Amino acid sequence: MNRVSVGLLPVLAVILLALLGPLFAPHGITEPVTAPYALPGPGVPLGGDQLGRDVLSRLLAGGRDLLVASVAIAVVVTGIAAILGAVAALRPTLGMLVERTADILILLPVALGIMVIGVSWPGSGRIPVVVAAIVLGTPFAFRVAAAAAAPVAASGFVEVASAQGERTLSLVFREIVPNLRATLLTLLGLRFVEAVYVVTTASFLEVGTQPPTADWALMIRENADGTLLNPWAVLAPSLAIAVLAVSVNLAFDVLTPKARNRAVTQL
Amino acid sequence: MTTVLDVLDFSISTVDGLSLTRCDRLTAGKGCIIGVVGPSGSGKTTLLRGIAGALPNGPLTVRGSLAVLGKPVLALPANELRQFRREHVGFVGQDPASRLNPRMRIRHLLAEAAGGKQFSAQLILADVGLPATEELLRRKPGQLSGGQQRRVALARALVRRPDVLLLDEPTVGLDAALRKRLCGLLRDRAEEGTTILLACHDMPLIEELVDEVVDLGASAGVPEVLTDHRAPDAGGDEVLRVDGLSAWVDSRRRTPILHGVDLRLTSRGALAVVGVSGSGKTTLARAITGLHKYIEGRIALGEALMPLRVQRRGPAQRRRIQLIPQDPLGTLNPSRTVGATLSRPLRLYRKVSARELPIQITGLLDTVGLAEEFSERYPHELSGGQRQRVAIARALAADPDILICDEITSSLDASTTEDIMNVLGELRSRRDVALIVITHDIPLAIRHTGTTLVLEEGRVVRAGATSEVLGSSRPPSMARPSSG
Repeated sequence: MNRVSVGLLPVLAVILLALLGPLFAPHGITEPVTAPYALPGPGVPLGGDQLGRDVLSRLLAGGRDLLVASVAIAVVVTGIAAILGAVAALRPTLGMLVERTADILILLPVALGIMVIGVSWPGSGRIPVVVAAIVLGTPFAFRVAAAAAAPVAASGFVEVASAQGERTLSLVFREIVPNLRATLLTLLGLRFVEAVYVVTTASFLEVGTQPPTADWALMIRENADGTLLNPWAVLAPSLAIAVLAVSVNLAFDVLTPKARNRAVTQL
Repeated sequence: MTTVLDVLDFSISTVDGLSLTRCDRLTAGKGCIIGVVGPSGSGKTTLLRGIAGALPNGPLTVRGSLAVLGKPVLALPANELRQFRREHVGFVGQDPASRLNPRMRIRHLLAEAAGGKQFSAQLILADVGLPATEELLRRKPGQLSGGQQRRVALARALVRRPDVLLLDEPTVGLDAALRKRLCGLLRDRAEEGTTILLACHDMPLIEELVDEVVDLGASAGVPEVLTDHRAPDAGGDEVLRVDGLSAWVDSRRRTPILHGVDLRLTSRGALAVVGVSGSGKTTLARAITGLHKYIEGRIALGEALMPLRVQRRGPAQRRRIQLIPQDPLGTLNPSRTVGATLSRPLRLYRKVSARELPIQITGLLDTVGLAEEFSERYPHELSGGQRQRVAIARALAADPDILICDEITSSLDASTTEDIMNVLGELRSRRDVALIVITHDIPLAIRHTGTTLVLEEGRVVRAGATSEVLGSSRPPSMARPSSG
């Protein structure tokens, strides 16, 4: 087996488990089946939580929303950053404006931003958290993308394309973004981990996600009091979050092209 | 005499058996100058990198022996090798400008290379022919011209006074005067005891300077100049007229690059723009193409005045002037195939339908002497000469009246240069394309252009028929032809 498939295996397993997990859950997620904080036993391999619900079932059900929200945040943030970064490299005046705006947004603490947006958002659900994470995450990613795009924008083929009258958007999508592949894939991986962190923080603070939803971060918070009685109620969701973040980053590391198709040899 | 370099039956190949370089015997004592010659792809650069102990990454088979100052550099542990290189070896690669940290000022670039040793920035910069002013020391690499960057890179290699100096194509991008200065400098250093290895296409330099030549190729030889495109420019209509073109570095208009340049180009004509590095040649090309922002003056295409900025020009105006830029590595988009690169201008300007594209692309590749299969290749799979051919084909795809070639042959060997110039000559006679050839290669200008314009510090100092301007009474800065 080659390096790529070995690197991708863990993430595929985690994604499948998170997406299809609810189908395999032995019990309902709101159904008390054992004593509160009961230790693992027959029928409840990971024991019970604060209300005697099955930890395993809630673990299997609690990853999907987190995964979907985090992927959405990472993809949107990286996409916006790539486009804005390339535009900023091509049009310095506009770029300066975007950069100053980004500077201001970077000053806002993310947790505070989530709480403000989450609390003022009409209704509940994950949408406000996703919106907040995108708004507050994009400035960081923009900085990285703009820095990577600057040398590409100065190269000969971009000059020729603009002399041939290509529009800015065409320059962005045809000439610049394809050459940022390595940077953007790395950025996507980092933004995913950051998104997991933001979404779980929000759940932990009960912004967006309300009990009795099964959610890994919410599980940690709910069951924290009973850690000594049934450690699995807290350990299992914590490990799940860690494995998700690490395996996704590993996968992006494998997917990122090494600097092979560069004409410049390194010394 | 102590042996500084000792190479015996040395070869490097990939594990698939593709030979990267072969050198049967090379020995050099203290103060020797050795020329490494051979056609493109014969492994000159790889040999130099082997001597520096810096082979390309990846599994390689190395055979034979290679010792520098008695040390087997390729077998040294990493930290010893680093120290050895730091103390004894200076290396200037083919594209030295890209090795300069763009964020560091020239002063710090030199200090870093000196590695704590005392040195005089004034002396070292004077050695490579740069004015050692406070202002220059404060600049960053991006504020220097291509030729100046090369010289800073050279100064960095010289400043530590290494025992072994490895130079890969050191004269590329230098005009005749600087080349002469470099010659003298290398000779002085050799007399002081530095062993110098030159990988070079520049045969006159080799003949003039080196004690011994090592030929890595099967002696393909440099062909004689075959074709003469010194077609007279008379009779053509005026296609381009530039009056009083001035350009500045930025919008504040404090640092001028061009001062009131006038220029005429007739259809099917070829105009050479020559001048020392930093004289504003590239800015002139970019200004005519409409890419330089801070300019003033008038540019007329045929009868009609044209907007200065490319964004304000119409598609028909943009189509008629095409630029082939300087940087041989960045001229093609690395993530698109040759076919994709060529199809874009075909669709943009000529509205070629998807069905007809392959035929048109094959036709274009044929015009520049490349086979049909090249349309599937990526730029990193092409040699320097092939890349420039593709760049010419891309410019032709727009069906232009004027081609501006910015030093497109400066990193190519003599025979490839002739081939490329012949392709351009054909275009002049067959397709009625007028050429602006920016170069510092005086013989090339004499062979291939009808009129010449000499730039000095952004001013036209001489203009007229090439034979008169560059012929008998050359301006002092162009005193010596750079190849012949």
